[in-house]
Amino acid sequence: MLSNNFSNPLMDHSDLYLLRETYNQKRLLLCFNGPFSQGLIEEIGVALKTHLQSDSVSSAAASDVFATYIELTQNIRNYAKKHNLTEADEAGATVVIGRNENGRHVLLAGNVVEPDDGKALQTRITELAGLDKVQLKAAYKEQLRKSRGDDDSGAGLGLIDIARKANEPFSCSLLPVNSGNQLFFSLKVVI
Amino acid sequence: MTDIHLTATQSTPSVSAIQTAPNGGGGLLEMRGDSYPENSFEFFTPIFNWVEAFLAGPEASLRVELHLLYLNTSSVKAMMDIFDVIEEAFEEGKQVSVKWFYDTDNERIAELAEEFKEDCTFPFEINQLA
Repeated sequence: MLSNNFSNPLMDHSDLYLLRETYNQKRLLLCFNGPFSQGLIEEIGVALKTHLQSDSVSSAAASDVFATYIELTQNIRNYAKKHNLTEADEAGATVVIGRNENGRHVLLAGNVVEPDDGKALQTRITELAGLDKVQLKAAYKEQLRKSRGDDDSGAGLGLIDIARKANEPFSCSLLPVNSGNQLFFSLKVVI
Repeated sequence: MTDIHLTATQSTPSVSAIQTAPNGGGGLLEMRGDSYPENSFEFFTPIFNWVEAFLAGPEASLRVELHLLYLNTSSVKAMMDIFDVIEEAFEEGKQVSVKWFYDTDNERIAELAEEFKEDCTFPFEINQLA
């Protein structure tokens, strides 16, 4: 019976086998964990587009999956830049893209945030998840008109855009990391 | 002021901003490709400044032709700023127009173009390519 070999920090055959099992069971297409750059976002984006083209996905769904991937990853990049995060864990992201039993694409993206930021995000996401298509469009237009500056990353607009493209209300999670001093924030979107 | 000529990259469109366009004269701003740069403010500011400076001229007329495929939300904000300047010029009586061309199977960009058009009163055509 195989189990996670956490006592050995180095990757071993059994770790790879377990990862494969997880990937297959969860129907994961792409996974990434680590520090992010715009270049990496673009490269993984190309791999994602190729996947979407070959996978009996409608062009509208493919557009929405790609757009959501870009908004999620760039939001994480902008957060890291804004907070001058340089350590791999703090400036990094964990991103997975898979498909659910209905053939819909599921995207999960997470990063380490300050507790106050995490809670603010959770409040905003809960708010947006409760809006219908008409309300989301109005929220989008309103956010579009808000004052812009060179330090305005547009994260607000990105979240609304993701909510509009989602097939069902999106959800997030906040879990303690670094002895509870920070939170791992993750957002799940079904397209 | 000088014209702008930018080649496309993976995440930025090609851009040409010409003060005296070859066919029909007047100015021409053309953009083609995807737009999802890390810093859209940095990318779009020179284009915005060009449009604003160009339209400040008394006899200025500008045609905008867009073959954009995907815009991230910060590019959407930047395009909105450019359309606002064009709208102002239109309200001052200047000759301006936007034509957005899209591929049949890219319904999302057509929808985005429609949403931009909703907030503009100047001539704004959204044309499907074969």
